[in-house]
Amino acid sequence: MLKRLTGVACGLLLSLLTSIAAAEVVVVVSADNALDSLSRAQLSDLYLGRSVSLPNGESLTPIDQSDRSPAHEQFYQEYLGRSPAQIKSHWSRLIFTGRGQPPRSVSDSQAVADVVSDDRTAIGYIDSNQVPVDNTLRVLDIE
Amino acid sequence: MVITKWMASRGTRCAAFAMLTTAIAAALLASTPVAAASSRLNLDGFGTLGIVHSDEDQADFVSSLLAPEGVGHSGDWSAKVDTKLGLQLSADLAPRTSGVLQFVMEQQHDGTYNPAVEWANISFDITRNLQLRVGRMVLPTYMTSEYRKVGYATPSSRPPPEVYHLVPVTNTDGLSLSYRARFGQATNTLQVLYGSKDANVPEDQIEVTVDAENGITLANTLEWGATTLFASYTNIRLTVDAFDGLFEGYRAFGPPGEAIADRYHIDDERFEVMSIGTRYDPGDWFVMAEWARNRSRTLVGDNRGWYITGGYRLGALTPYLTLADREVFSETSHPGIDAPQAQPLNALLNEALNDAARQGRVAAGIRWDFARSVALKVQFDHIDLGADSEGVLANDQPGFERGGTMTLFSTTLDFVF
Repeated sequence: MLKRLTGVACGLLLSLLTSIAAAEVVVVVSADNALDSLSRAQLSDLYLGRSVSLPNGESLTPIDQSDRSPAHEQFYQEYLGRSPAQIKSHWSRLIFTGRGQPPRSVSDSQAVADVVSDDRTAIGYIDSNQVPVDNTLRVLDIE
Repeated sequence: MVITKWMASRGTRCAAFAMLTTAIAAALLASTPVAAASSRLNLDGFGTLGIVHSDEDQADFVSSLLAPEGVGHSGDWSAKVDTKLGLQLSADLAPRTSGVLQFVMEQQHDGTYNPAVEWANISFDITRNLQLRVGRMVLPTYMTSEYRKVGYATPSSRPPPEVYHLVPVTNTDGLSLSYRARFGQATNTLQVLYGSKDANVPEDQIEVTVDAENGITLANTLEWGATTLFASYTNIRLTVDAFDGLFEGYRAFGPPGEAIADRYHIDDERFEVMSIGTRYDPGDWFVMAEWARNRSRTLVGDNRGWYITGGYRLGALTPYLTLADREVFSETSHPGIDAPQAQPLNALLNEALNDAARQGRVAAGIRWDFARSVALKVQFDHIDLGADSEGVLANDQPGFERGGTMTLFSTTLDFVF
């Protein structure tokens, strides 16, 4: 019995570790959106509240994840090269001008997938190991 | 102390703007129920709990020239220098129209902590890139004017006084137009602002008022990836009533006295402020620098200051270093009038001229982002006061020795919510 419990615990721990190690944050838009890539600079500008005009003349509304979600830290660190604290600092420079509010934030990757798949002007990021990318979403190449 | 160091401020509000402020507040509050449903109303806050130690007990280091009390003479330790709290309500009032109301509680010119209306304005997007703003708004003299009170957004314990004391006033009542343009990957914002401001200054026992009229500010910010470039120019008409008695006294001496009064009196005189700044922040490290100058043909003269701050991020820790300097480029003395009866006037004139700050400063500190939305900063400042100068200090006592060195040790806890 004890051995079995230990086995289960080890298995859980192992799967947890592998899921952390394999967490892969990808940037997604709705499958209805024709966009298939963005430059890193454009992605940064979008998530830092600067206007970005896309070649097709359309605009994108960034969707964020709560800073309690592990994907939040990973996204900002990996794609923008900034820590969550730096992002918070950045927004506190804009919020108190009355000139900008951070992107709308939802709880986790699943919530981002739900919002983005329903809105062709939305862009978000998800942990593709937690939320499989189905045919309602398109993963963008970030160059 | 130091009326000459400075230029304008908050305090007395003219009636029209008091009414406008009230109207904007009412509009924002009235929008609450709608906003709750559509989440268009935002309540944000910022604050700092800070304590500073000074080893100079004959003068005060103050957060602003509008603050009557600082650290040093008023006490070895002080929580009054950096501690403050700000609350901001912003809302979309109608399509393309939004309002902002910000209150700040900090040490006022009269020593109280009564909440003051820092901003109360309504903005209207004329086009996607052109915005009109009316009401009380930030005076964009410096690169970090918009968040100079938000400690969490500032790399060091407080904005460098060598630059930020040149214009201690932070807001103005008026209107502004800003135009935003995108060039490739760069965003440029050009703002033109017209406004006026009255203020009260702590000046020992007497009430001093400062009146800044017909102010025009041009400010331009260019953001390109990790780089920000800023430049601004302000031109106002400044009146300070503190020296009326002095100059009336001089005028009684005939043409030579009148010449002195005309040269130095701050009575509806042109007062200019120019500043440039840059910040580069690729993520792992940052560097920022600003240079600013105020200039007028008055007692205030021609003052210039600069600083450079750089830091390196090691996880949650960011050690940083600041170098700063402040100099005066106008005369700090005048022979006055060669008559025995004029000696008291000459003494007062020379004291006022020599109030111009000269100092160099090196600061080393570390910021620790130890929890979400909270940062702790510890900073050590070594200030080298210029020859025969009290630097940016205030409340100097008879025992104060000009031109020495001093150290400050600051601990601040900054938060946003």
